[in-house]
Amino acid sequence: MGKTIMYVVVSVVISVAYFTLVDHFLMDMQGLDYWYLFRK
Amino acid sequence: MGSITRKKTLAVLALSAMIGLLLLPVVAAIPALASGGEAPAAGGPPPDAAKKDGAESEKKVEKARDVYYKTEGIVSGAPAPKTTDGPKDYPRYNFESRVLLWFANQQHLYYGSFVLAVPIFCMVIEFMGVVSKDKAMAKKYDQLAYDFIKISLTAYSLTAILGGILIFTFLTLYPAFFGYLSSIFRPVMHIYALTFVAESGTLYIYYYGWDKMKEGLLKWLHLSMSVILNVIGTVLMFLANSWIGFMMSPAGVDEQGRYLGNIWHVIHTALWNPLNLHRILGNMAFGGGVVAAYAAYRFLSAKNDEERAHYDWMGYIAMSLGVAFLIPLPFAGYWLMREVYAYRQQMGITLMGGLLAWLFIIQATMIGILFLSTNYYLWQALGRMRGGERFQRYIKYFVFILVCGFLVFITPHTMVMTPAELKAMGGQQHPVLGNYGVMSAKNGGINVIITTTVLSFIWYQRGNRMPAVSWAKFGNIFMGVFFFFAYVNIIWLAIYGYFIPANVRVGLSVPQVATTLSTLFFMTALNLSMLKGAKQIGPIEWGKISVRSQYALIMLATAFTWMMGLMGYIRSSVRLFWHVNEIMRDNSPWAYTHTVGFAANMISANVLFFWISIMFVFWLGTLGAKKAPVEVKSPVPGRAPEPAVGH
Repeated sequence: MGKTIMYVVVSVVISVAYFTLVDHFLMDMQGLDYWYLFRK
Repeated sequence: MGSITRKKTLAVLALSAMIGLLLLPVVAAIPALASGGEAPAAGGPPPDAAKKDGAESEKKVEKARDVYYKTEGIVSGAPAPKTTDGPKDYPRYNFESRVLLWFANQQHLYYGSFVLAVPIFCMVIEFMGVVSKDKAMAKKYDQLAYDFIKISLTAYSLTAILGGILIFTFLTLYPAFFGYLSSIFRPVMHIYALTFVAESGTLYIYYYGWDKMKEGLLKWLHLSMSVILNVIGTVLMFLANSWIGFMMSPAGVDEQGRYLGNIWHVIHTALWNPLNLHRILGNMAFGGGVVAAYAAYRFLSAKNDEERAHYDWMGYIAMSLGVAFLIPLPFAGYWLMREVYAYRQQMGITLMGGLLAWLFIIQATMIGILFLSTNYYLWQALGRMRGGERFQRYIKYFVFILVCGFLVFITPHTMVMTPAELKAMGGQQHPVLGNYGVMSAKNGGINVIITTTVLSFIWYQRGNRMPAVSWAKFGNIFMGVFFFFAYVNIIWLAIYGYFIPANVRVGLSVPQVATTLSTLFFMTALNLSMLKGAKQIGPIEWGKISVRSQYALIMLATAFTWMMGLMGYIRSSVRLFWHVNEIMRDNSPWAYTHTVGFAANMISANVLFFWISIMFVFWLGTLGAKKAPVEVKSPVPGRAPEPAVGH
């Protein structure tokens, strides 16, 4: 059970980090601000 | 021994001949290109006129600015003709000339796409056969590749005939326009013709040399021919694409349509590369669909289990190849639309927000049908393997996700309504559903559909296998979490788009696409590595698949055909009343946009004609098939034996 939780946590961290980076950098490459709404 | 050496020599000679044929158009083009590809237009001064003394011609040199590249060039052709409605420029029968041309063009395109796509499949499958260490599988791949090329050979003759009909239709009904277009492309017209000759020659040598070149070095030479064949085919298509690219987004001419001496500018228009990519992917998806339909037809008419097994396998491979190219197709289409907007914003608005917008709703419906059919086929295919049943209970959730994505994807932004309906609804947009008819939501919808299709594929791959790697548990959890957050990211970006300005929102589609592609590439790779040395639950029982699945394949192919006709019509219609956008006006009585209903009927008629004629081609293919004695096969893990059908 402990191992399963660890696997889930690691997977969540990797997935969330990956998709956030994808969103940020691919918007940045187009000269756009992904965080537009939050900076406003 | 002597015979083998002779065969090798002949094979090398054949290969050299093909390379020679491939290079022939380039060599032939050198003088034209070196001289700047002078192309006096129809009605322009004869070439001899240029051979006057230096001083006089110096005076007559006129320079003009390229409409697209904005570079200066020497005027080398006559202006685009200003046509008038009459028998001189638009001779006609008692019928709408545009419809005749539409029919001839569409049929040629259908067959052209098919014969360009199938040799690429053939090359891939033959290569798989050559590198396969399992001799039984190698033989089956080889047989499959042969089956593919056999179908395309008959279709190839029809393509050539339809090409001839198309040229005659142009010459007869639109002589002024065709004269102008061929004058602009004169420096490369003969390259097109020679490339076609090279393609034909290579195809026939490739097909008829199959049996003679089936082993060792000869087989590699044979495989090399398929590479050459596909290079020639692709060049041929790129050249044809340059014509439609020029018609939509002309370059290399001045504002009067006078050629400025740079043929590369004429070819390399703003939309040429997006069109090239879109057409390659589209042709591959279409070709895969047609071959899958052929296999389905043969499966349904099979007389025994062995034939059924073979054609079930063939249908699966063709469908997989077709869908592999279908998945990136919407992204290539997106690039094309982006370039259209970048070239002329008004053109993009006409396409997606104006006159032709409703056709895009039909297109969305067709894309949805394609993906639903693909998923349905994969779920049915789980039935032919033991172990597949463990996934069956989850299918209803997949259906739910797909239908949600599909409904969002096809929701129109505005509705065509009567004044009473408009009043009842309180405006052109539905108060709730109207919110979904925007690109932000639609992008979310299609990406959810594609991600679910990827998941279906991954489950299909796992159908009869259980991962046995030591890190299987982590792999499964990671895959589940990755897919979950992929869905979350796609839906989040779709919702986020509603809260930010349009100029920022437009960029969100790129990370959405990247999310979908991440699941496709990373999760497929992860799945394959997890399935290395996997535990087999049972074999794949080829041929033991529901009949419904085969109808799904036929549905898939028909939807491809219909969508291709639709998209071709949309792309062509966006020029509105121009033969060549903003350069040569269409002054025929048919320079208007048809109603959606008429266009749909016309597309359906084209689809029907294509399928009736291709059924004839399929039937011809069966006439030549001789049954070879079925060899004793060693059981292939995970695969039931397929019969060998003689060449």
